[in-house]
Amino acid sequence: MKVSHLLTVALLTAACGGDPAPDRSNYDASEPAAAPAATSGETIETQTPAREPAEKGPQISSAPPAPLVAPAARAKGVNPHAAILADFKERVDAYMKVRKDAIKDAPKLKETTDTAKLKAAQDGMAVHIRAARQNAQQGDVLTPEIVAQFRRLLYPELKGDDGRDAKEILKDDAPSPQSITFKVNAKYPDNAPVPTVPATLLLNLPTLPEPLQYKIIGKHLLLLDEEADVIVDYALNVIR
Amino acid sequence: MRRLLAIVVLLAGLPLSIGGQELRVPNKPDSVKFAVIGDSGTGSSSQRAVGKELATWRTRFPFEFVVMVGDNLYGSERPGDFQKKFEIPYKPLLDAKVKFYAALGNHDDAAIQKNYPLFNMNGERFYSFKPKDGVRFFALDSNYVDKTQLDWLDKQLAASGSEWKIMFFHHPLYSSGETHGSAELQREVLEPVFVKHGVNLVLTGHEHFYERLKPQKGIQYFIIGSSAKLRKGDLAKSELTLYGNDREYAFMLMEIDGDELFFQTINEKGQTIDAGSIRRVGKVEPAPSRTTQPVIPQAKPTPAQPGPRQQGK
Repeated sequence: MKVSHLLTVALLTAACGGDPAPDRSNYDASEPAAAPAATSGETIETQTPAREPAEKGPQISSAPPAPLVAPAARAKGVNPHAAILADFKERVDAYMKVRKDAIKDAPKLKETTDTAKLKAAQDGMAVHIRAARQNAQQGDVLTPEIVAQFRRLLYPELKGDDGRDAKEILKDDAPSPQSITFKVNAKYPDNAPVPTVPATLLLNLPTLPEPLQYKIIGKHLLLLDEEADVIVDYALNVIR
Repeated sequence: MRRLLAIVVLLAGLPLSIGGQELRVPNKPDSVKFAVIGDSGTGSSSQRAVGKELATWRTRFPFEFVVMVGDNLYGSERPGDFQKKFEIPYKPLLDAKVKFYAALGNHDDAAIQKNYPLFNMNGERFYSFKPKDGVRFFALDSNYVDKTQLDWLDKQLAASGSEWKIMFFHHPLYSSGETHGSAELQREVLEPVFVKHGVNLVLTGHEHFYERLKPQKGIQYFIIGSSAKLRKGDLAKSELTLYGNDREYAFMLMEIDGDELFFQTINEKGQTIDAGSIRRVGKVEPAPSRTTQPVIPQAKPTPAQPGPRQQGK
C-alpha cells in the first residue's frame, strides 16, 4: 500500500473515530440497497436502481469494474467506516482521471469577455465527459455503502436546533426537486439557483476536489461537476 | 393656478432633495475609494437607475472599483444577458475603466462568471485582492464553504498582516430579514476565522434590502442586496439593526482613509439614506496564534435626512 493511501486511511480513521451516530437508514452498509421511493409528489427521473454490490462496481472508466469497496480501502485492520470513505476517495479520484482524459481535447474554459465562448467551452466539456462516461450508472461513485456512511456523518448535524436550521437553509435557496433531472450525466439546469449547502454539513463530508461539489436538492444528494454542470452521481433521500 | 401650485410643491421639496445629495464621505486624495452593489443582475429599470446614479456620483467621488456581493446575473447567462444585466447598466463605469470585483451568489453560474474577466475573479470562486497597501479584500463563495476554502481563507488572513480586512460574499451571517434571516450555519464556520484574524468589515447581500448591523464580535456588517431587487416589508427590526431600508433600491460608496472607513448609502434617485464611519482601533499583530479580538470597529452612525420613503429600523 502506498504511503499516501496509508495516510489517507489514517486521517479518515481519525475523522470517523468513535462510534458513529446510529444509522436509521433503510440502507444497510453491508447489504444491497433498494432504490428509495421519491418523496410524494415529486417527479424524479431515475436510472436503474442501485445495483447488487457484489456484482457491479464503478463504471466511470473503461477499466474493469471495481469491487464495491476498492482494494486499498479493504486493507486489513482498517476501520470499516474509514475504509468506506477511502473507497469514496478512490471513486472520486477515478472520476477525476476520466474527466481529465475526457476534456483533454475539449475547448478550454479560459478567461474571455466573449461569454458565448465560455458557454461553448462549458457545453463542450460536458459532451466529452458524458461520452467518456456513457456507461456510468447511479451508484458508481455514491455506492449504497457510501451513502449510508454519509447519512451517519450528516446525522449529528441534522438533529436538534442546528438540524432544523440546516434543513431550513437547504430549503431556502434550493430549486424544487421537480426541476432537476436526477440522472447520471444529466445537465444541471442553466437557470436553476445554486442550493446553498450549510457549511456545517459540508465539513462533515469528505472534501471534494475542484470542480466537484455536493448539492442537496430537497432530501437528495447530487455529486455535481460544477464546471461542466454535469451530474456525476446522485443518491435519493439522504436527508431525513 | 395649477402650474403655480406645482412650483410651490417643488420648491418645498428642494432643500431635502439637495441635502440628501451631498457627498458625505471625505473624498481625500490618497484614500481607497470604492462602491458596493448587491443582487444587481436583473437587467431591470431599477438596475439601470442604480447604474446611472453610480456613474453620476462617480463624477464627485472618483471610486476606482466596485465590489459585487453576488447574484450578479439572475436567470440565463447567455452573452446577451451579460450585456443586458451587467455591461449596459454600468457602461459609463466600464468605459471609465472602473474595475468590478464579483463574489458568487446562489443565482450565479460559477464556471462562467469566474472566467468572465470583467468580474476580475481570475478563474477562482474565492480570491483576494489588494487595491492599496494596508487594505485587502477577500471574495468568498458562501454557496459552498468547504474545507478547501476555509483553509485558504485562514492562510490568506494570517498572511495579511495589519491590513484592513474586508470580506465580501453573498449570504449574510447576520440579518433581520424575514425571508432568509441570518445564515447561522455559515456563521458557525466563518465567524471564528474572522474573529481570529481581526476581520474589520463584512459586506453581503442575498436579502433584498439594506441593513447596517450592530458590530458583532468587533466586526461591522452591512447587507446591500437591493441594487436591483427589493423585498419590501421584509426587514423586521431586530436587536441587530442599527439602520435599515427595504423600500428603496440602494448602493454604497465607501472610503478608507487610514484607520477610518466612511460609508454613504444612496438610493436609486441619488438621495442619501445612510452615512457614517467606522474606526479601526489598534493594529493587528502578525501573530497567527492570537485569538482575542484585535480590532474594534466603532460605528459612528450619522444617518442622513430621512427621505419620504425611508424606513428607519
